[in-house]
Amino acid sequence: MNKLIIAALLIGSAATASAELTVDEIVNKANQAAYYAGDDGRAEVEMNIIDKSGSTRTRRFTLLRMNTEGGSQKFYVYFKEPADLYKQVFLVWKEVAEGKEDSRWMWLPALNLKRSIAPGDKRTSFVGSDFVYEDVSGRNLREDTHELVETTDTQYVVKNTPTQPGDVEFSYYTVRIDKDTFLPRKAEYFDKNGKLYRTVEATKIETTQGFPTVIESVVKDLNTGGSTVNTFSNIEYNIDLKENIFTERFLRRPPREVTR
Amino acid sequence: MKRLGLTTFSIRFPWIIIGLAVALTIIFGAQFPKVSFDNDPENMLAEDEYIRVFHNEVKTRFNLYDFVIIGIVNEEHEDGIFNVETLGRIDALTRELISLRQNADGKPEVIRNGEPFVPTLESASAWNRALAKVFGNDVNRLFAEDGSSAIIAPEIISPSVVDNIKQADRGQLAIEYLMEAAPATREEALGIRSDAMNNPLYKGTLVSEDGKAIALYIPIVEKTYSYNVANLVEKLTEDWDGADNVYITGQPVAQDTFGVEMLVQMATSAPLAGLVIFLLLFFFFRRLSLIIAPMLVAIIAVIATMGLLIGLGFDVHIMSSMIAIFLMPISVADSVHILSEFFDSYHQFRDKAKTIRHVVGHLFMPMLYTSLTTIAGFASLATTPIPPVRVFGLHVAFGVGLAWLLTMTFVPAYIMLFVRTKSLEGVCRVQEQESCEAPTSRLDRTLHWLGGFSYKRWKLILGLTLIIIAMSIVGISKIKVNDNPVKWFTQNHRIRVADAVLNDHFGGTYAAYLTLKPERIEIPTCAERVEMMRNAAIERFSKSLPEASAIFLQILDETNTKFQLLENADIDRCFVDLVGQAEGLDEQVSGAWSELGDAINYLEPDGLTYAKLTAAIADMGDEATRIIFTTRMADFQKLAGADLQSRALDIVDEYVALSFKDFLFEARANAGAPAFKTPEMLTYVDRLQRFLQEVPIVGKSSSAVDALKKANYELNYSTDTPTERNADFYSIPPTPSAVAQVFTQLEGMKKKDSLFHLITKDYNEVNIWIQLKSGDNTDMQAVVDEVEAWMAENPAPVELNVGWAGLTYLNVVWQDKMVAGMLNSLLGSFVVVLIMMMVLFRSPLFGLLAMIPLTVTITFIYGLIGLVGKDYDMPVAVLSSLTLGLSVDFAIHFLERSRELTKKFGSWKDAIGHMFQEPAMAISRNAIIISIGFMPLLFAPLVPYKTVGFFLATIMAASWMATLFILAALITGLQKYLFNNNNSTED
Repeated sequence: MNKLIIAALLIGSAATASAELTVDEIVNKANQAAYYAGDDGRAEVEMNIIDKSGSTRTRRFTLLRMNTEGGSQKFYVYFKEPADLYKQVFLVWKEVAEGKEDSRWMWLPALNLKRSIAPGDKRTSFVGSDFVYEDVSGRNLREDTHELVETTDTQYVVKNTPTQPGDVEFSYYTVRIDKDTFLPRKAEYFDKNGKLYRTVEATKIETTQGFPTVIESVVKDLNTGGSTVNTFSNIEYNIDLKENIFTERFLRRPPREVTR
Repeated sequence: MKRLGLTTFSIRFPWIIIGLAVALTIIFGAQFPKVSFDNDPENMLAEDEYIRVFHNEVKTRFNLYDFVIIGIVNEEHEDGIFNVETLGRIDALTRELISLRQNADGKPEVIRNGEPFVPTLESASAWNRALAKVFGNDVNRLFAEDGSSAIIAPEIISPSVVDNIKQADRGQLAIEYLMEAAPATREEALGIRSDAMNNPLYKGTLVSEDGKAIALYIPIVEKTYSYNVANLVEKLTEDWDGADNVYITGQPVAQDTFGVEMLVQMATSAPLAGLVIFLLLFFFFRRLSLIIAPMLVAIIAVIATMGLLIGLGFDVHIMSSMIAIFLMPISVADSVHILSEFFDSYHQFRDKAKTIRHVVGHLFMPMLYTSLTTIAGFASLATTPIPPVRVFGLHVAFGVGLAWLLTMTFVPAYIMLFVRTKSLEGVCRVQEQESCEAPTSRLDRTLHWLGGFSYKRWKLILGLTLIIIAMSIVGISKIKVNDNPVKWFTQNHRIRVADAVLNDHFGGTYAAYLTLKPERIEIPTCAERVEMMRNAAIERFSKSLPEASAIFLQILDETNTKFQLLENADIDRCFVDLVGQAEGLDEQVSGAWSELGDAINYLEPDGLTYAKLTAAIADMGDEATRIIFTTRMADFQKLAGADLQSRALDIVDEYVALSFKDFLFEARANAGAPAFKTPEMLTYVDRLQRFLQEVPIVGKSSSAVDALKKANYELNYSTDTPTERNADFYSIPPTPSAVAQVFTQLEGMKKKDSLFHLITKDYNEVNIWIQLKSGDNTDMQAVVDEVEAWMAENPAPVELNVGWAGLTYLNVVWQDKMVAGMLNSLLGSFVVVLIMMMVLFRSPLFGLLAMIPLTVTITFIYGLIGLVGKDYDMPVAVLSSLTLGLSVDFAIHFLERSRELTKKFGSWKDAIGHMFQEPAMAISRNAIIISIGFMPLLFAPLVPYKTVGFFLATIMAASWMATLFILAALITGLQKYLFNNNNSTED
């Protein structure tokens, strides 16, 4: 916490404008803008996993999200393509409260199988792509200390250092946040040797129902030369989702919100 | 005399010659600092060699790397390797290796206990440090130019960073690392053991089946880092005490270590051999000033040849490191002939210049031809398909030519300048040696006796020769062509020890990759797909939904007709077309049920009663459906909440399960499934692996099927089902979709993409990782043959393209090429030398005769190799060229002098006594010097050097005997054909 105060003081003294935001305010706003737009929402996602040689694997899924109490969220991911993953479902309850862990379930229709998955590492690959679960659902702000390292005309640059460095593969990452929308535009991850090895970038942004929304994001793994591009379409906010959609019962029998 | 031109010039202007020699040495010596080394046996194959290209493609396609294998063995602890302390060390070591980085001083640094730690990598021995310095072998070289680590940290295979899929608390499935953290208690340590043993990918690979050893596989960016990585690991584990033993192996380490030690050998063995030769020369000639000349010739020839090699930009390879060792005896041999003659003839002239002219005049032709034949022998290696052997052959040929030139010029010049006339005063004639010195006289007496024996008992000698040849041919038929880079180390070398220990505990440290892919990837046409769907639809629907089934078949047929009219119709189009119609059909058949189910599904289970449920569906679906539903629910009206809801949904599901749309998706997934998502093909791989398990040399095989079965088991595992039912899931899932969904779980494991080491991302090619317990080429070949035979007997469901890769397999390929190449080059040079001999002696008969000793010697040596069971490997193959060069030398000298002396004394009978004086003495001295001179090689820690040492001695002995006995005996037998006109030699 001391660091934060010091960081805040430093920024305060360096800033010339009177109404500068503290770093905590910036990361909070960015977190809201990136992951909490509206009360709930829906999007069609096309995911292209591209490897070094350029060969591409495509996945299509529908994503439902609902904000629940205290900043927690629920996600429902319904696969449509490829044909062999048709109807496969991931269900995630993201918890932000201290000491609470996420819950995850999956439904594998061809195996007629529902499994609950132990809350493990959130930095594992999301269905084999270069995105990790944390990129999809957001990293808990408490897991890093934040430091505003640069303010440009249009962006804030925040350096995030993990409080538990042993739990993650990076030593720190920086995020460039747009001043006007507060959307994080580019995150750069540095490994334990201080080498940049991974970037996550919001490459296209559009405003939908008044919410600035990322409609294309790209993650690049500089070590493997692979990248993954997510393209979002048919985005809707505040569609009045029922919370009981996000239950095990809806794994086998997907809700209308995703099938239609 | 023209042939004396060079020598006369040298006698007249010795300083010019010395000056030129010094200049030559300096110019070539100046190339030395540019030296670069290459100890990669892979380079035995040309870079564009098919198998090498394929090997690299496989490595790229499956993201495979060369590994340094670290074996940690604990034989003492009751839990073997799975004790808290050892696992803690392994975990710490893994993290240290992952954290390897370059610190501000450019030194390698790891994180130990959260603090930067700089290990001392330099050897404690000053001698080793000095050698490392000389050869530019920097142990701190662990980083690429951009500063990134030589270790590919994300790909390290260690319990701390390999995936494990297992059952967690409350029926959850856990996907985590095998050893998320170092264990704190015995229970935790044993838990890790049981997890590891239950994973077919780890048992026998990562952990030994006896639980006493763990192997870490450290992938490296390039093979050339392996020695330094091995050294780093040794230093990081230096403080491990007690029962934990660390062994480091793997082919890259073996190769790299060989390279480093090869340099040490170059720096020690060759000079040592030089020293011994020097001492022997001194023993024979007793004139230090005289024998310095041959040594200088050898040294200049070696420096110039190596300088040329380096200057031309070639790397010093395992082969070329032996140039010095091959050149030394050859260059010394020439000068020994001159010296020997000079020594024996000086008394006649009592004048250095005259003696030299006499000697050179005498020896010019034989020496020219011995050099030319040796050059031919080595130059013929240029015809082999193995680049390093070509480079070796041509450079030795160059060196031999240079040595000849130096013998003709430098040796006379040296004698003129540096040998004091006074020192020659006491020189004895061979005949008088008895009074001078005892040791040589014994040789002289023996030779004298031998001459008599060869003359009188020539039939016996020839008879014995035939017997030896016959036995040798038997031996040759037993020759086993085999090589194994690890066996280049002697038995107690740490690499060999590590190899033995780890292969004892694990499935094997030698890797070969067997790749399978369909010969042709056929995407079914629309018509074919429709046909497949048709059959599947009849099976699925015709009984339960006869009417709808008929309609569906009709739709399929219509689609088929429509798409047959279109050429190159997009295959997905025919599917998309169908989906809409199938949805309509579903609506007709079970639309009402779906609506009902949907309504029930959205109900809040809390406080749900039957009354609430019926109210919610009051106007859903149609009347008839609701009646069936309520009738079937009759028995369950007492249920409430979630139980009621799931009961109701179960009933609905029975009616909506037969969905035509779902069927279409399934059919599409099945029809479009790549080869290795189909259960049939995966089963074939499984069967092949089970067969491999039966092959004795194969320790273990791993494939994507192992991962698939394990994941399928863990996914389906339930504490509520009996063990046998759970065990049934240890299998390949029944449909392509089911396979795909399990594979998708594996794609998203913690260690991303580790599945793709075993299967390509398009699932059209698998890589079976075969671990062999032996790296012998013959063993690898046996596995290849066994697999081929099995696959011929058990054809795959679709025709397969089978490929082999991996360093162990690569060795087989270059070995085969080498044997064929060497044989060709040997035959080629044999013919060339034969022609040269016929020209030299102006007689086909003499020419053939000259070939006899080397033919007998080579036959004998190969026979010996076959009989004692020594593998025919690279050093042996190369030695045959040397045999050709050296054996024929003896024969040339012997025949030339025989002819001369027979002419002088009138008959062979009278000449043979003289033959066994100076000429035989020169040959014997040569043979003794070379065979004893290379004895130091026998003490080298590297087997190829031992082999060269041993065979040089044997070759010399055999050639010596073949020349003095067989040739003498043959001449005796053939004298009337050989000497009937006596004026054929001189011109």
